[in-house]
Amino acid sequence: MTIDRPTLANDNYLTHTRGFLSWILTLDHKRIGIMYLVSVLTCFLLGGLFALLVRTQLLVPEGLIMDQDQYNQAFTLHGGIMVFLVIIPGIPAALGNFVLPIMLGAKDVAFPRLNLFSYWLWIVGAVFLVISIFAGLDTGWTFYTPYSIDDNSAMGGVIPAVTGAFLLGFASIFTGMNFIVTIHRLRPDGMTWFRMPLFLWSLYATAVIQVLATPVLGITLALLAVERAFGIGIFNPALGGDPVLFQHFFWFYSHPAVYIMILPAMGIISEVIAVHSHRHIFGYSFIAWSSIAIAIFSFLVWGHHMFTSGQSPLMNVVFSFITFSVAIPSAVKVFNWLATMYKGAISWNTTMLYGMGFIVLFLIGGLTGLYLGTIATDIYLHDTYFVVAHFHYTMMGSALIGFICGLHHWWPKMTGKMFNETAGRTAFVLFFIGYNLTFFTQFMLGSHGAPRRYATYPADAGFQTYQIISTIGSYLMAISFFMMAAYFLASCFGGRRAAANPWGGRSLEWQCSSPPPFDNFSEQPAVGDCYDFSVLRWDEATGGYVWREDVAHPGHDAEEVAHT
Amino acid sequence: MSMLGMLATTKLGEATSGGGFWMPESASTVAPEIDGVFYFINNINYFFFALCVAILIWFAIRYHAKPSEHATFTTDAPTHNTPLELTWTAIPLLLVGVIFWLGMDGFLELSEAPDDSYEVQVTAQKWSWTFQHPDFGVTEAAELTVPLGRPVRLIMTSSDVLHSLFVPAFRVKNDVVPGRYTSLWFEATKPGQYRLYCAEYCGKDHSKMLAVVNVLPEDEFQTRLGKLAREYEDIADQDLPEYAMVRLYNRCASCHSLDGKSGTGPSFKGLWDRTKSGSTVFTDGSTLKDYMGPGGEFEVPENYIRDSILNPRHYIVQNYAATMPTFKGQLKERQIDAMVLMLKNLDRLIDEQGNPIENPDLSGADVSTGAQK
Repeated sequence: MTIDRPTLANDNYLTHTRGFLSWILTLDHKRIGIMYLVSVLTCFLLGGLFALLVRTQLLVPEGLIMDQDQYNQAFTLHGGIMVFLVIIPGIPAALGNFVLPIMLGAKDVAFPRLNLFSYWLWIVGAVFLVISIFAGLDTGWTFYTPYSIDDNSAMGGVIPAVTGAFLLGFASIFTGMNFIVTIHRLRPDGMTWFRMPLFLWSLYATAVIQVLATPVLGITLALLAVERAFGIGIFNPALGGDPVLFQHFFWFYSHPAVYIMILPAMGIISEVIAVHSHRHIFGYSFIAWSSIAIAIFSFLVWGHHMFTSGQSPLMNVVFSFITFSVAIPSAVKVFNWLATMYKGAISWNTTMLYGMGFIVLFLIGGLTGLYLGTIATDIYLHDTYFVVAHFHYTMMGSALIGFICGLHHWWPKMTGKMFNETAGRTAFVLFFIGYNLTFFTQFMLGSHGAPRRYATYPADAGFQTYQIISTIGSYLMAISFFMMAAYFLASCFGGRRAAANPWGGRSLEWQCSSPPPFDNFSEQPAVGDCYDFSVLRWDEATGGYVWREDVAHPGHDAEEVAHT
Repeated sequence: MSMLGMLATTKLGEATSGGGFWMPESASTVAPEIDGVFYFINNINYFFFALCVAILIWFAIRYHAKPSEHATFTTDAPTHNTPLELTWTAIPLLLVGVIFWLGMDGFLELSEAPDDSYEVQVTAQKWSWTFQHPDFGVTEAAELTVPLGRPVRLIMTSSDVLHSLFVPAFRVKNDVVPGRYTSLWFEATKPGQYRLYCAEYCGKDHSKMLAVVNVLPEDEFQTRLGKLAREYEDIADQDLPEYAMVRLYNRCASCHSLDGKSGTGPSFKGLWDRTKSGSTVFTDGSTLKDYMGPGGEFEVPENYIRDSILNPRHYIVQNYAATMPTFKGQLKERQIDAMVLMLKNLDRLIDEQGNPIENPDLSGADVSTGAQK
């Protein structure tokens, strides 16, 4: 007999209570996570549609479907929605909310009410941001001054948009605070800091950045709104302000925000590579410390967004120097992931394909960052498509793919259903080809001098071939995402029931049933080395992995746990 | 990637000669050094990318577990190896140190203009460029003429929002900021015409804020600027409308169309008729006619055109925003005359689609401006 036979509990968090109100007023972190997930994916659809509009426009030099103003609004909303409503909340708020307390063996986050409040604050912020669509926001997601303050320039919608970003920032701060306290206070006996799953380390580092950096964005956007509404001169030179000051403020938040986006994705990849290679993670402490190092360095490099802004050459040199220091912990992580695969037993399932795809795309994203941290080459490449390609490789190819990878990894846990593997792998291949067609060509565009944010481009500059290939790639990606939506939805209705531990994970979330019961664990989970998979074996009857009978289960011997 | 590259190079080979797979044609003294840094990083990147992807694929295939095998867990694989991890921390550290140094070195060269540089004052405005040559008293738009083989320093400012001056062939770029001066310098090494872009998003017609850098050998440069300096003086009255169309209109083109379509500003087509009849309506509901009677501000209607160029935010035409910058100090009296005459004779200068006609027939055209009467 098995000790931890995974059975689909009749009573789980999805069926515990019923009705619309039981969802929108829930304090259950799992339901809040699911609500975030649905909201984020809806926004992803919207942001993706704007991306397709942008790509379609650029098929021909004179622009195919939009006039200049419409194009400017389309890329602004694509950027604003994807950054503020998809990538930043994607992993921490949606997946993190669901997984973090279970990984800790806890019943919920430390402050469930704050968690619900942050979700609704997020929704209000999202509504404000979407309202700006109809007001014609065209400042770019960066709101650069004095363009954004000048009534004669920006089309409108600046105040709703910054209000939205302000509220979203607070939702993000609350989630971060909640996670920090939860990780500090609710770790179970036996789970020391360096026994935490690496995903929790990355969420912790992320939360610290969220709490420290986001207020600066809030203040900056408040100043912007005050200046625009009342004409107080802070950033507008016509009123005695300094437009470059805004860039310092903005990037002081927005560069750390880049790591708010990428760090949790790196955490997911650390989990996925280990679990799906069925092999102990290599170099746990280097990976954990590299997350912390990235979080610290992230505050010191904002000036590399401003090498051409007219800031002093000395500052350029200093910021370039510190920027390179971020390359090291990132490189360390990649080497450790590769080493984790060594002598593993690697499943080529959809989740692992996204994990390996992440490594390739992140390599390209990271290595091309070297050209941009180097001042001499950045001066040339800044504000060209090269930068666009670079940050899409890191933000979409890495952060968003980390999110999608995590979604596949925890999908059986969240829904209790398995998705169709063949469809999943097919969609991945389509995505991977489409992705590289779309964005690798943009490196070429940029290195040949094509400036970004152009609604039209010179017909004889040789840009069109790249633009066409890029647009075709974006259509392939769109198809792959619709396929993904289809097989995920299909799994909800007709999918095979998921075992408690279908992949062979060792962290605590794989020890409760799929989907988890309302209070997460019906019995004490086994805390220990969360990457020691040797205690598991395949169980044909349940279609998942179970605890080996010949290995003691620490959860059934509380004393042993206390002394490990 | 290689197939993509083949496609790419064939197409670009036609467009820009001398360009490589990654970098386009270059034509300045700093470009080879910057390209050198680029290719240095490129080689490091190719190596590490190939290495990591090769390892990834090798491990993925070598240690592949078929689904039916249900992954037996290996316990003999190492969980860490401190010397190895320190090594792969130290090697990238050294490499990025070298890259940083190269990049800083190249940048310091970019940021120090030689003392004997030829200076040009650049004004950026939505959505056009103005280049002033103080040495010649010449103002250019849409084209920047510079000497070959002599360092040129641009001193730049913006009259509205952020812009950025970018000449890919010279590998130079710097933001143009309102309320302060920024500068960049280059020394062109090949005569020819090179694209100049606005690289910082500046609103509606950002993508049309283009110009050309015209690099001329020293003697041709002197001749050309000397000619430009006298151009509007030497020109016959009869030729002023065409002069304005060819030499001045490109600074208006991003906002004022010739085909009757509304842009950021009203179309020039029919503008003179609307002015003469006083039918133009302003944002406050008044019409131009209200100001045209005897003793009125625009008793002479030509003065309305003149005022709109020099003091553009005074009267705003209904349905348009007060966005036009003033051209005071940028246009000489005779150039303003030329603009007025161009608008008065616009029908002779453009065809029905609004395209300028080459060698238009201006015989019998009214070449008097109200101001001269």
